[in-house]
Amino acid sequence: MLLMDDEEGILLPTARYFRSLGCTVDMAREPEEAEALASHRRYDLAILDLRVTRFGGAEGLEVLREIRRRDHGTSVIVLSAYISPELEKEARALGADSVVRKPQPLPALAHLAFALMGASGE
Amino acid sequence: MHPVSEGFLLDRILEPGSLSVRWQPVLELRRGRVEPHYFEALIRGPQGTSAESPAILFEYARKKSQESRVDRACVEAILAEAQTLPGDWTLGINVHASTLAMDDGFVAFLAAGLEARSISAALAVVEVVEHAPPWNVLGFRRAIAGLRELGARVALDDVGLGHSNYMMMLECRPDYLKMDRHFVDGCHGDSYRRAVLSSVVQLARAFGARVVAEGVENVEDLTALRRLGITLVQGFLLARPAPAAELVAPSASRYGVTTKVRRGTAGAPGRR
Repeated sequence: MLLMDDEEGILLPTARYFRSLGCTVDMAREPEEAEALASHRRYDLAILDLRVTRFGGAEGLEVLREIRRRDHGTSVIVLSAYISPELEKEARALGADSVVRKPQPLPALAHLAFALMGASGE
Repeated sequence: MHPVSEGFLLDRILEPGSLSVRWQPVLELRRGRVEPHYFEALIRGPQGTSAESPAILFEYARKKSQESRVDRACVEAILAEAQTLPGDWTLGINVHASTLAMDDGFVAFLAAGLEARSISAALAVVEVVEHAPPWNVLGFRRAIAGLRELGARVALDDVGLGHSNYMMMLECRPDYLKMDRHFVDGCHGDSYRRAVLSSVVQLARAFGARVVAEGVENVEDLTALRRLGITLVQGFLLARPAPAAELVAPSASRYGVTTKVRRGTAGAPGRR
């Protein structure tokens, strides 16, 4: 799975948690890194922070675009501390499977992730 | 001026000593033996990061529009390690076409680096990698002319793919046309692939250039390439990328070729 967040305090514990569940996790701290990874690797799941704060925009959507351009059937969860109806609509239109508020308890996030992957694998 | 930090990964990549080099020979198939023609330097990014994989490293550099800075860092790493190689090896150095086109000082930077390490520019093959037009054609031409003036040779990488097309051949007038593995892999059983390879062999002859087949991974393809007149090859079949300290003579004897590799041999100096 691909995990993008620029906050170490979220990125590292989330990666650890999913690894403890048996996932192989690639971490990206910047959208360009996530896009480069998505260009060359196939992921079952991507969890993307919508706003990578240092950059001030909705960079997660660019990564989502790259993932959908490759279209490997990746399940995508977009996380954001600030979800407006417009952003949610845009993320869904670009192919996000779920848009959820940040922070999410890790067990809830994992539950959602596995439910999405299970649904896409059917 | 660049801000202090433009990205966590970029900072790591540009840290001195963070890039490492593997060397993979381009081999000359001669009657009865195989010889290194030149050694391509393959960069690995900072250990423990996603950019340890060169594909991710350079994709990231392109997405950040930082090809030039990363290419310069790669040149530094390559030349530092080249100093430790025994003999006068000819070095293959990958450079983005966009770096040559947009970074006015790149050729002078390369020349200074070679000179500082007492490496003759005649022992450098600059492999031009192209990924995204449009670029500054005049700047690119100036850079290619500058490389020629130094005495370096030019290879066009990934021929047949993306933007490594006829226009680039005209702009580069390359000494080597490196055929992407896509056309090489399986060529023994595919007359269409062989037709493409054969046409590039003819084109190369007209250019006064040589064809290098990349990604040679089985004996059948190697045999087909020889029949097409392609005698410069690169691939896992004969030699994998290796650190300088582990460079060993490639063995071709088990492929029906008696191997006699002379360490320290290098390709002939450039024609131009």
